[in-house]
Formats: sequence, structure tokens, C-alpha cells
Amino acid sequence: MNDKDFSKEKIDNVIDKLLYSYPAKVSKNRKEHMLVRDCSQDKQQIKANTRTVPGIITNRGCCYAGCKGVVLGPLRDMVHIVHGPIGCSYYAWGTRRHKGKPKEGEQNYLPYSFSTDMQEKDIVFGGEKKLKQAIKEAVEIFNPKNIAICSTCPVGLIGDDINSVAAEAEKEYGITIFATSCEGYKGVSQSGGHHIANNALMKHVIGSNNDFVAPKYSINILGEYNIGGDEWEISRILSKIGYNIIARMTGNGTTEELRNAHKADLNLVQCHRSINYIAEMIEKKYGTPWLKVNFIGIEATVRTLRDMAKFFDDPEILSRTEEVIKEELEDIREDVEYYRGQCAGKTAFLFVGGSRAHHYQGLYKEIGIETVLAGYEFAHRDDYEGRHVIPDIQIDADNRNIEDLDVQKDPQNYRIVIPPQRREKLEQEIPLNNYAGMINEMKDGSVVIDDLNHYETEELIRILKPDVFGSGIKDKYIAQKMGIFSKQMHSYDYGGPYAGFKGAVNFARDIAMGIHTPTWSYLVPPWKKEPSLEGEVSYIPESVEQ
Amino acid sequence: MKNKRNFTNLNVNPCKMCMPMGAAIAFKGIENAMMLLHGSQGCSTYIRRHMARHYNEPIDVASSSLSEKGTVYGGAANLKNGLKNVIRLYDPKIIGIATTCLAETIGENIDMIIREFIEEENLNDRHFVPVSTPGYGATQFEGYFQAVRKIIEYLTEETKPNNSINIIVPNITPAEVRFIKDVLKEYEVEYNLIPDFSETLDAPFAYSFSKIPPGGSSFSNIKRAAGARATVEISKLADKAVSPGEYLNDTYKVPLYRCSIPIGLQNNDEFLRILSEVTGREIPDRFAKERGRMLDAMIDSHKYNSEIRAAIFGEPESVYAASRMCLENGILPALISTGSKTSRLQSLLQKQEEMNNLHETPVIIDDTDFETIRELVKQLDVNLLIGHSDGKFITERDGIPLVRYGFPVNDRIGSQRIMFAGYEGSTRFLDLLTNTYLDRKYTTYRNRIYAKYAS
Repeated sequence: MNDKDFSKEKIDNVIDKLLYSYPAKVSKNRKEHMLVRDCSQDKQQIKANTRTVPGIITNRGCCYAGCKGVVLGPLRDMVHIVHGPIGCSYYAWGTRRHKGKPKEGEQNYLPYSFSTDMQEKDIVFGGEKKLKQAIKEAVEIFNPKNIAICSTCPVGLIGDDINSVAAEAEKEYGITIFATSCEGYKGVSQSGGHHIANNALMKHVIGSNNDFVAPKYSINILGEYNIGGDEWEISRILSKIGYNIIARMTGNGTTEELRNAHKADLNLVQCHRSINYIAEMIEKKYGTPWLKVNFIGIEATVRTLRDMAKFFDDPEILSRTEEVIKEELEDIREDVEYYRGQCAGKTAFLFVGGSRAHHYQGLYKEIGIETVLAGYEFAHRDDYEGRHVIPDIQIDADNRNIEDLDVQKDPQNYRIVIPPQRREKLEQEIPLNNYAGMINEMKDGSVVIDDLNHYETEELIRILKPDVFGSGIKDKYIAQKMGIFSKQMHSYDYGGPYAGFKGAVNFARDIAMGIHTPTWSYLVPPWKKEPSLEGEVSYIPESVEQ
Repeated sequence: MKNKRNFTNLNVNPCKMCMPMGAAIAFKGIENAMMLLHGSQGCSTYIRRHMARHYNEPIDVASSSLSEKGTVYGGAANLKNGLKNVIRLYDPKIIGIATTCLAETIGENIDMIIREFIEEENLNDRHFVPVSTPGYGATQFEGYFQAVRKIIEYLTEETKPNNSINIIVPNITPAEVRFIKDVLKEYEVEYNLIPDFSETLDAPFAYSFSKIPPGGSSFSNIKRAAGARATVEISKLADKAVSPGEYLNDTYKVPLYRCSIPIGLQNNDEFLRILSEVTGREIPDRFAKERGRMLDAMIDSHKYNSEIRAAIFGEPESVYAASRMCLENGILPALISTGSKTSRLQSLLQKQEEMNNLHETPVIIDDTDFETIRELVKQLDVNLLIGHSDGKFITERDGIPLVRYGFPVNDRIGSQRIMFAGYEGSTRFLDLLTNTYLDRKYTTYRNRIYAKYAS
């Protein structure tokens, strides 16, 4: 079998072999989480956001990771007190590269980790008193304007009432203090934690400043976490065109700017999975529409900028958009062409969280790399298939446990940003309040796998031998041990930014460098010319149980 | 004695991790073994992530992926299914099952669940080692020793005496474990080194990838430990309750020798002396030369070393070794600190002779955090930090250079290869300390002297 044979027959064969290794029950379960893209089919369905098979080494994290680590953590001016034993607070301390730069006079708690460091006696006798004291200590020393409390596993089990502790403290100190019950075991992945954090920001922060008057062309950036400085590049482009960014959610963002978010004219949604709840709730409560954007890749960035211009439909913005696009493209054309020459014809796997597995496909394509396998760690069906499937998604017990916050129209602040008629027309032209999902953009014969596990990763790399394995640090070294270039798509291997125009060049350069590093040519010792890497599933276990 | 922490209820920038992290490292040192964490999957994911960044190796830690349902009805079904899947897909011969905050809080009886599981599945060819490691119980330091001790408790039984010696290693680097094995080779002695992660956590590139990396203490070596001639436990700080050597001594009467990590002159002298005692062999010639070179180096750098005011932090064992080395080199360990709770650090250091001759008494604190360490670093006018990567929190703010040492070193390449053990490794460590200090001195001292005397 040819290494680079990605015919449908070969792919089907590969998947069958993978599934064959599992027993009937797990095989059936995992099969529903995989599909081979068939463009002739109108609809292809995938299973997602269901419980992880225990014992199969997943890359998924927990509810706390999604709430504290992803959504709330990047807010610079917020003291995040992790209520629980020490580990969880330590592990989420500066681990996600959400960068932030405070403005003159602003508070910055990004370099800090705050924990109540619960001990055995707190588990036995309850930790409320300790939490109360910890808040007091944080207020006295750090004098923050905002405190969020995130709970870890034992807190929910021992029944600490963190919400009332937060409410009392809020009254006592006259600052914003709220609690999130994001115990690790809730939901099926970090996704539940995103939702919980979205709810908390909506309840306690967004819309709390009604005195704010938004300038013209005002927008919020949602679901952009400023990993490696992505938000800085995006903001550079948007400001150059003339947009005014009111709030960033949440990379390089502040709680204080979130208070004004309801006054912006448009919400941009970059990572759909982690923040679509806020976009939806703001729309319902304040009338602000949202636009699915993608600032990863040159074409995607251009399209997004044009979509935004269409939305504002203002001669100044329209012409400025085209000017900026022209200027930026001119600036990077030569570099991108150079790197494309180095990368053309290569293949990639993309297994990332809840958006990047989709977003980066376009950028790969622009430098000549084809994505042959893509999957999300914690996405829902709508991230794969598009939002139109939302009404058909079954709600199971795990998801029911995550509150769906019911917001109502705010009579004082609700406004119609664009008239219904124009809106209807716009919805036909741009992804307004809509996300079409990842699958639609994927090529015939490419593989889509949800919650790719350790075992499947190994086998698929072994068989499909991609040139680039784009994933995270936990599976990076598997690929590297197999002699395959691995790119960390969560933290960018401590590089970046990769968003926008200049970011695309950074990415192209890093990928070209990774593919062409001289090291790869020394992997086979001179005395052993034949590589021993076999193109077969090397070990087929008899059965695996769910 | 200063307060341990600035705040009693708030830990700001922790100088410690949780118990399961230590257990995960220990199980990586057992041949054909895997660990499954009974709890939320986040625990496994976080630990894998942090270990991968330190060791630059794939890290497999399975999880029972408990969900809300499991917290209500108990996690037995998840644990059993998790074990089944681990066995089918990875085929480990030894499986460690460590608990988490969640499993402990809901009161899971993992011993019983595992017994049931073995019976139900009729599994007699595999070994299961349950370890209780609640995140709130202690830190990764105790979790590590707790796991090593449980591995020995579960896998050994009364056996015939043999000629081997047991070496219990603490959480040092894979390169340092390889060094210790080199030393043992020099002594031509049969040994049972537990846990041995020298290959598993620093595997050579081989163009092939096996699901469980080769290497680790073998089952037969662990079994042999019960009849060994002696145990050399490279830890003076582990509490008796979690000490594997104490267990072997209590249960099988294996004589126990405890020493520090062989970092620093005295620690190496002690280590070699113990090895000579238990093997009945002279100290090999090679070490006399290496000792001589280290002394030469110590003499070369003593003038600069006396200007160093160090803050040392990390796990108790590594902190103790580094403190001793500083003391013997005239480096003032102005602050000696650990996030773990231990009274031994203080009591052991007080026995150190140099402590009596210092013009300034070092501050020794346990159960502390980096916010407190940073404040003391300022108060004590510290000019060199020695410890794990989290010390960069202070470097970034106050510009005091950090020599990376201990666990984790996750913001630099090659942590698995750091080798400060032995006379040679210690010499390299000492030179690094001196040179890091000199680097700072030479970039600032002209200005400082000018400001002090000429202006």
C-alpha cells in the first residue's frame, strides 16, 4: 500500500481496522465518532460531546479546565480564586499561553495563581470559612475590582455553598465577586466548563455598565484567547480599518471592558464552541447580532473583513477594508509564496480543541498542505455539521446538568441594530448568527474523528504518515518518536502569533522550518538503511469494553 | 522562624503540586506498568501535560473518567471498564491505580473494587497496585514515595536472602538515575533500583514507538528486594510512613541506609561510603579523581561564591541537597524553602556544621508559596535563585537570575538530561551557580561601584 494513498478504499480499510480492535460495544460507540467525508452525501452525521470511554487515553480535560483555564482565566483584572486542593490551581497557572498586556494603571493578575489549598480537615469539616477568609486576604492585599471563584471536584461533593459566600463577600467589599460551580466531573469534557463560565459572565459582568456610550463601528471579539499574541494581530488589522473594539472575550480582555460589551454593534465569534452561548445570550437580551469569523488563514481573514464591512455597509469602512486588504496582502505575498514552495504537496493531521481543527485547514491549504484528518477534542455536533443541527441534538443527562441560562429582553437596552429586512438579506450573504461547521469545508475522502484517543492517534499516524501532526503537547511526543514533525496547535510551541496576515507568515515559516529541519535526515542510522516503520496496524487487541 | 506563608487561607503561586503527580512519576519507573487515575479525566490530562513538558516524552496516564453519575452512584463500573480497556489496549503487567480528590471524597474503596475486578475477570497474571493519593493529602513529594512504597508493599513477599542491594531513588532526573546505575556498575554489585525511569522518561529515538516504553524496574527485581542485603534509600526527607526502605526494614528486616541525593561533596562522600559499607568494596578509584577535580573547582570559585546569597526552593529532598552544597561552598542559603510540609528539613540542616559558623541565620520555611518566597527574597537581598521553573515568577519581576534545578523544569529544553549528581555533576552545578552569579555581577557592578564611590 502506498504511503500517500488516501483513496477512499484505503481510508475505509484503515477505519475498519481501527474499529475491529474494539469490542462490539466500544466499536459501535467509536464508529459513530468517525466519518470519512463523502461530498456526494447531503448530510453526514457524527457523534460528539458524549462521555469519554474510560481507560482509553483521551486528550480531553475537565469542566474546571474549560471554565477557569479557558474562558475566565485570561481576564487580566480578575483574581481567580480556585477553591479546592492545590493541584488544580497549580496545573492551570500560566499553562495556556493567553497573553495580556495591562494598560497604564490597570490591574494585572495573569501571573498569579490563587488557591484555597484545601487540606483534609477542610474536606471533612467544609471549606466555606476558608474560602471566606481567602477572599478577605485577597481583597486586603491585592485590592482587586473583580474576583471569580472556581470550584474543583471535592467542593461540590462536600456541599460548600460557594454562591452564598461570594454573594456575601460581594456585599461586604463592594466589588464584583461571583462563584462558578465548575467541578471537574461535570459534563463530559471542558465544554461544560465553557458554558458555565459563559453563564457567569452574562449574569454578573456583561451589561453592568449602562453609562458607556459606544463609538462608531464598535465590535466585541468573542472566543479569541490571545494565544501567542493572536488577538494583538487581529486587533491591529481591525483598528487599522477603523473598528473600535469594546471588549475582548477573553484573551487580553478585562472584566471592566466586558461590562460595556452590550453596547457594541456586532459580536465577532472566533471560537464557536467556547463562547457561542454568550453571543446568543447577548443577542437575545440586547439585540446585538453575531458574526462567525475566522482570522486564521489569509483567505479566511480577507473573507471575514469583507463580511464585517458588508454588515456595517458604510462607504468609509468598505473602502478602508479593501485598502487594508490590498496593503496587507502586498506585504506578505512574497514570504507566503516562498514558504508555499517549501511545503507544497505535504499532508497534515489536525486534532485540536473546538475550532482550530477547522480554522487551520484553510491556512494549511494556502501553503500547499492538505489536511487528511481532522477532529475536535470537545466539540458538539454543530461544530462539525453546522448550527442547523442544534434542534436535533439529543440532550443527555450529562448535558442537562449544565445550566442553560434563560435570558430575557432587556427593555432599557435592547435595540435593533439592523432592520429585520436587511438582516434577512445579510443572513444569505454572510455567516450572521450562523456557523456552517467544519465538515462542509473538508475534502472528499478526508477523515473526521471526534475525541481522538491515544491509541487511535498512534495507529493513524503509523498508517497515514502525515508530514505534519498538528495537536497538543500530550500527543506531540508520540508523533516525534515516530519521526514525524509535530506542531503544537494549542500553544504554538511557544511561538506565534499565527492569526491574521502577519501571523500567517509566522505560521508558514514555522511549518516550513519544521518540515525541513536537517534533523529528520539523520533518523535512520547509516548502517541501517531500511526504516523499520511498518504501514500496518501492529498490534490488534482482542477486545475493549465500554 | 518566619511565618510559613503571607496568607493563611490563600496560597498565592504554589510551590507544590498534588499527590497523584508524584505517583505518576513513580509508576513510570516500573517495567511494563501503567497508571490509571480514578477520578475526573482532568487530573490525568493535567498531569500528562505537565510531565510531557518536563520530560519531553509521551506520557500515558489513563483515567476512569468519572462523571457526575459516578459521583452519585460510585465509580466502580467506570474503574473496572477503564482497567479492562487499559489491559486490552496497552497490555501492562503492572497497573497502578491512584486515587484523586474526587475518589477519596466520595469514599471509593478501590482495594475492594480491584479485588472484585480480579475475581470477575479471572486475572491472575497481572498485578494491581492501589495507591491512595488524595490531592488534599499532601504534595507530589509524598505522593511519589507513597506510590513507590505501595509498589513494594504489593509486589514483595517473604523471600530467600540474596546478595543484591536495593536502591530507592527520589524524584531526580532520568540522567541522574543513569548516573547512579553507572556508580553501581563500578561497585560490581547486583541491585534493585526502584523506580527506574532512566529509560522510560528519557527514551532514545529509535524510529519505532512502543505503547509502553521499554525500561523500568522489573517485577523480579522488585520481588528480590524483600531478600536484599540492604536498602540504600536516597532520601533523608521522606517521612517514615511513606518510606519504602522503612517498609522493607520493618517487614523483611532489610537493613536500611538513608542518604541525600549525591549532589554536593559531602552528599557524594556519604553515598559512596554507604555503598562501600553495604557492598564491602573499596570506593572505586575513578571517584577519588573526580572528587579531587570537584575540590579544585570549589577552590577556584570560593571567592565568588561567598558573594552569593541564594534562595532555594522545591521538593524537600532536592532543597536539602542543594542547601548542603551551598553551605559547603560558602554560598549563603539565605532562604531555604519548600511547599511541602516537613519539619525534617529544618532539623537536618541544623545538624550541618557550617550552620553554626554563619554570620547570618538562613530562613528555613516549609508549606510555603511563591508569593511568600518572593517577599523573603526581597527582604533577604537574595541575588541567586536555585529551584524549579516556577521561580521564574520572581526572575521576571525582580530580575534575580534562576538556576533551574528540580521538578519541574518546563520552560527550558533538556530537563530530563540535567545531571547534577556525582562529583562531576555537582561540579557542573556549582560552576553554573557561580557563573550565573558572575554573569549578573559583571553586567551591573561597574555601575554599582561607580554609584557607590565616585558619584
